[in-house]
Amino acid sequence: MTTVGSSMRRSGRVSRRRPADSGRGAALVGQLFLGLLAALALAPVAWAVVSAFKPANQIVADPLGLDPSTLGLDNFRAMFQDVPMARGFANTAVVLVTKGALTLFFAPLAAYGFAKYDFRGRSLLFGTVLVTLMLPTVVLIIPLLLQMKELGWVNTYPALILPGAIDAFAVFWMRQVIAAIPDELLAAARVDGCSEFGIFWRIVLPCIRPAIAGLAVLTVMNIYNDFVWPVVVANSDRMSTLQVVLANLAQNITGNRIGADYATVTGELLAAASVALVPLLVAFVALQRHFVNGILAGSVKG
Amino acid sequence: MSTTTSSPVVTAPAVTAGSTRPSPPSRRRRNRLAPYVFVAPFVLLFAAFGVYPMAFTLRLSFTDWRGSGAASWVGVDNYTYLLTNPAFWSSLGNSAVLWLLVIPAQLVIALVAAVLLDSGRTRLRAFYRVAFLVPFVTPLVAVAQIWVVVFDENYGAVNAALGAVGLPDIGWLTTSTWAKPTLALLFIWKTTGFIVIILLSGLQAIDGDVYEAASLDGAGRARRLWSITVPLLRRTLLFAVVLQTLAVFQMFAEPFVVTQGGPYGSTTTAGLHLYNHITRADLGTGAANSFLLVVLVMAMSLVFVRLLRSED
Repeated sequence: MTTVGSSMRRSGRVSRRRPADSGRGAALVGQLFLGLLAALALAPVAWAVVSAFKPANQIVADPLGLDPSTLGLDNFRAMFQDVPMARGFANTAVVLVTKGALTLFFAPLAAYGFAKYDFRGRSLLFGTVLVTLMLPTVVLIIPLLLQMKELGWVNTYPALILPGAIDAFAVFWMRQVIAAIPDELLAAARVDGCSEFGIFWRIVLPCIRPAIAGLAVLTVMNIYNDFVWPVVVANSDRMSTLQVVLANLAQNITGNRIGADYATVTGELLAAASVALVPLLVAFVALQRHFVNGILAGSVKG
Repeated sequence: MSTTTSSPVVTAPAVTAGSTRPSPPSRRRRNRLAPYVFVAPFVLLFAAFGVYPMAFTLRLSFTDWRGSGAASWVGVDNYTYLLTNPAFWSSLGNSAVLWLLVIPAQLVIALVAAVLLDSGRTRLRAFYRVAFLVPFVTPLVAVAQIWVVVFDENYGAVNAALGAVGLPDIGWLTTSTWAKPTLALLFIWKTTGFIVIILLSGLQAIDGDVYEAASLDGAGRARRLWSITVPLLRRTLLFAVVLQTLAVFQMFAEPFVVTQGGPYGSTTTAGLHLYNHITRADLGTGAANSFLLVVLVMAMSLVFVRLLRSED
C-alpha cells in the first residue's frame, strides 16, 4: 500500500499527463486477440453445424469446402431413421424438469437452513457437504450402480433423477449468497408475523433472484449435458438420454459399426450433434445475462 | 446457584435481539424445528446417494468382490496391488501430463482475455462473453464427436487445412505423441470461457484507482498486469487452479468418447482407469482405486488451500 500511496503523491506533479502507453496500437492488438479467441471458440461448432447439411461423402472428401447448391437435409433424415433421437430428447426432458425442479427448490431451502439458523449438527452436516465437493464423481459410480440394482431402479427414471438431485455445490453456492442477506430483514418479517417458511418464500427467494437465475442456467446445462451417470445406469434404448444416444453413435465411428461406411456415420453424427446442441445454445444466448450476473453475484472475491 | 442467576442477565439481550416480541411457546417450538425441516430433503438424498455409497465403497475396497457371489475380506491387498501396478501409476502420470498441458496455457489465455474484457475501452464485450461461453455450454459428447471428426487423420478438417499449406498429416488421435495434446486442446477449448468469467468476477472487485496510479507512474501494460493485477487476483487465480485441477484429475468423458484411453493407453486418465475396473467387474480393486484417487485429490486441494492461506 505504501508504494501505491507514494506513487500517487509523486504523480501529483505530472497529473496533466494521460497514460500514453495504452494508445490505439495496444487496443488494436487486444481486439485482435479477443477476435481470434472468439473465432476459435465458435469455429468447431460452426463447422459441425454447417457440415451437417453437406452430403456425407463431401464432409469426408473435402472437410473445408462448401458448395451451397449441394446442401440438404439428407444427414438429418438418415440420422432420425437410424437413431432413437426423439426418445433421447423425451427422456432428457423428463429428467430435466423433475431433477431441475428438485434442485432449484430444495437447494436454496436447505441453504437457507444452513445459513440462517443455529441448530444441532449444523457444522457437521455442512462440513460433510464441503468434503464431498472435493470428491471425484466417478468414485460413487460403483456403489451407486449396485444400490440401483438392489432397488431395482436400473433403467428407470428414479435412477436418472434422484442421485445427484439437490447437489452439494448448489447448496454451497446458495448458502454463500443467502448468508449475505442482513439478519435484521428476516427478523423484521418474523415480527410482522411471517412464518419461517414464509420468510424463505417471500423475503429470501426474491432477494437472491439473480443467483437463482444463474443456478437455473447452470443446473439445466449440467442435467442436459450429464453423461457419465446416465451411460452407466440407463443405457437401454428405451431409457437412453440424449447424451447417451449421442455417445452410442460416436462409438459407431471408432468401433466401426458393421455395414456402415465412415462417411454415412460421420454425416449422421454431425447431424445428431447439431440437433443436440442447438436448443441449448439458443437457450443460453437468451439467458446468458442471468448466467453471467449470477456467477458474478456469487463469486469469490479476489 | 450464583452462576445461574448471573447468566440470564448476560444472555438475555442476545436472546431478545433476534425477536423483539416474545412469541408464544408453540410458535417457538415450531421455529426450532424449522431448520431441520428445511435441510431434511437435501440431507436425506445426500445420505442415501452420497454418504451411504461412500461408506459402501470404503468397505468394498477391502474385499475381492466381483459383483456377485460372496465377498471375502482381503485386507489391504487391493491397495498394495494398485500401488505396485504400473498401469495405475501411468494413469496418474497421464493425468499429470494433461494437467501440465492444460493449466498454464489456459490460465494465461484466460487472464489476458479477462483483463481485456474488463477494460472499459474494449468494444463488443457482450459478444465476446457469449462467444467464449459457447464451448462451455455445448454438450461434451457432441464436442467430443466433433473432435473425433475434425482431428481424423485421413478425413479430418485439421489435416486438410495443414495439407493446404503444404504440411504433412498428423495422427492427432492415433499416435501416443499427439493424443494427449489433442485431448488437452479439447479441454482448454471447452472450459477456458468459464475461467474467463470467474477471473472477470475477481477483476471487478479490484479498485480501478490502483491502475490509474500505476499508469500515471509510468508502468506499461504488461508490467501492470504482472505486478498489480496478478497479485491482487491471486485468490481468484488459485480458486481457478483448484477448480481445474480437480476437473483434470477427474477427467473421464473426454477420453472415453474421443480415444477410449488409447493409443497404447496414452490417454487412459485416472478417471478412465477407475472406470475400466467397473467394466471388468473388478469392483474391489475399483473401489480401492476410487479411494486412492480421493486421497490424492484431497491432498492436492489441501495444498492449494494452504497456499491460499499463506499468501494472506
